[in-house]
Amino acid sequence: MSNSTTPLYEVRNIGKQYGSVVALDGVNFKIHAGEVIGLVGDNGAGKSTLVKALSGAHQPSSGEILLEGKPVVWKSPHDALEAGIETLYQDSGLAPDLSVSANVFLGREKVVSGILGKLGFLSQKQMDKEAHEDLERVGIAVPASNRSVSQLSGGQRQAVAIGRAVSWARKVIILDEPTNHLGARQAAEVLQIIKRAKERGLGVVFISHTLPHVLQVTDRIVVLRLGRVVADAPTSTFDAEKLLGTITGLIETK
Amino acid sequence: MNRIREVLKNQQFILVLALAVMVAFFSIKNPVFFSIPVFGNILSDWAPVVLMAVGETYVIMSGGIDLSVGSTVGLSGVAAAFVMRSMTTAGQNQNFTILVGTFIAMGVGLLIGLVNAFLITKARMVPFVATLATLGAARGLCIVTTGGGPIGEGPEKAISYSVPWFGPLNTPGIIIIVIVAICGLFMHKAKLGRYTYAIGSNSFAARSAGINVKLHLAKIYVLSGVLSGLAGMYLYIRLGSGSPSSGASGELMAIAAVVIGGASLSGGVGRMSGTVLGSLILTTVTSGLIIIGVAPNWNQVVVAVLIAGAVFIQGFRTWTKD
Ligand SMILES: Nc1ncnc2c1ncn2[C@@H]1O[C@H](COP(=O)(O)OP(=O)(O)O)[C@@H](O)[C@H]1O
Ligand SMILES: [Mg+2]
Repeated sequence: MSNSTTPLYEVRNIGKQYGSVVALDGVNFKIHAGEVIGLVGDNGAGKSTLVKALSGAHQPSSGEILLEGKPVVWKSPHDALEAGIETLYQDSGLAPDLSVSANVFLGREKVVSGILGKLGFLSQKQMDKEAHEDLERVGIAVPASNRSVSQLSGGQRQAVAIGRAVSWARKVIILDEPTNHLGARQAAEVLQIIKRAKERGLGVVFISHTLPHVLQVTDRIVVLRLGRVVADAPTSTFDAEKLLGTITGLIETK
Repeated sequence: MNRIREVLKNQQFILVLALAVMVAFFSIKNPVFFSIPVFGNILSDWAPVVLMAVGETYVIMSGGIDLSVGSTVGLSGVAAAFVMRSMTTAGQNQNFTILVGTFIAMGVGLLIGLVNAFLITKARMVPFVATLATLGAARGLCIVTTGGGPIGEGPEKAISYSVPWFGPLNTPGIIIIVIVAICGLFMHKAKLGRYTYAIGSNSFAARSAGINVKLHLAKIYVLSGVLSGLAGMYLYIRLGSGSPSSGASGELMAIAAVVIGGASLSGGVGRMSGTVLGSLILTTVTSGLIIIGVAPNWNQVVVAVLIAGAVFIQGFRTWTKD
């Protein structure tokens, strides 16, 4: 058990360059268990780049990542997943030609018992059933498990992607613009899912352009501008106007 | 309109229908066509094509392409022929010699597959260019090592294995059918195929789901190489020698079989049964045209029409999706 003063997940002085573009410049932030962090910033502020560093999809050019106080290096998303960190990427992390359950179980397939299982033969029925249950448990109205994702609507796809991430997460869940392309009712469902994840003691990183959502569901807000953290404070210290001002730079914070 | 849509959605049904129509057509044109020896001949042509095409199916499903399969057939057959010639000169047991030859052929395929895998996953070359390079290199090696002629003087018994005994099938043919079935099961029932589809469908999603995409792609190109190596050995057994030109244009046949089978060249869509039927259609047409007396040069035109037809149907299916 980590005590409450050791952050669950922390980045220190993270930098990332794409050629001459500095996407992240000395970013620091912490997240505790059972805490929802809102990560906001204008387009191009570096949110998705930070997500990719947190999830192992990219390696940062500089800086340190600590999980429960211990430095970690993610060589691939596989490492971060193994450590209990799930990510929903903005640019959809689903394989459209695969079924719903194949996507939910992608990379963590259930195999049949015995030698065939060792050879990688899949227990498809089991996965169809469990995918359905997992999605239901996190509160998602589920389309049939064996439907191809390409046949789902944008909202349904997003729901499957969120359900996949939430049902597998053990420590941290990172959601990059999960309410994009969603209607009001579906977006409200996603916020409910975030609250439930928090109640389960997960650390949640919630990225969104919809500021009312961020103000409604987060405990703390980190504002990025041009690759730097320009504000990091409890949500209660922000109102919509101040948050918008901080994002756009109309309100100087540092 | 709905009817047509439903029928066209079932690729397998169309393929079986096309095959049946072809068999009927050729049989009516020349009744000799409908016979065990002719079917045996078609299956002998089909066996090496389906081996290449099965590997190609994995590669194409993953979103890649393997142009080196035909050259791999050539080089593996030639390498096996050299080894089997020395073993025969040394008076080795014939069956043992053939077994060793088979492993040599598979080994050469494995090596070429590893080179492809290295070029694609480590040197980050696109599959088209990487396998075009190995296509050229392997065929070049065939010519250089043989001087252009076939390598014979191997075990005399080899060619006897190509005699059909189970209806139109011979022993290598039966083995190949079993291998194809196993590859199909791995494609549709196991992780190997699941990851292949995932990578071809969205490789970023596959990677972020924790799949080692590079390792998986390496496996697929190696599989393709090994299967082509087996096809090289099969042609050795059929001809009784290793010819430097065997498997020439095999990549076109393999890719055509996969496409006629309904796969998408951009990956993620297709089935092994489609490839099996696609390759069977190709070899049936080739034999059928000869038997009804059409000049062999028409063959390529007919194959082209088949591919165009398959792509048209695929386009039609996508177009009517929503
Ligand atoms: N793969 C990439 N190659 C080059 N530049 C990139 C790449 N990804 C992001 N960037 C750049 O990095 C900056 C931050 O982008 P991003 O993290 O996507 O911002 P956000 O998600 O906050 O909109 C932008 O200037 C963007 O153009
Ligand atoms: Mg973004």
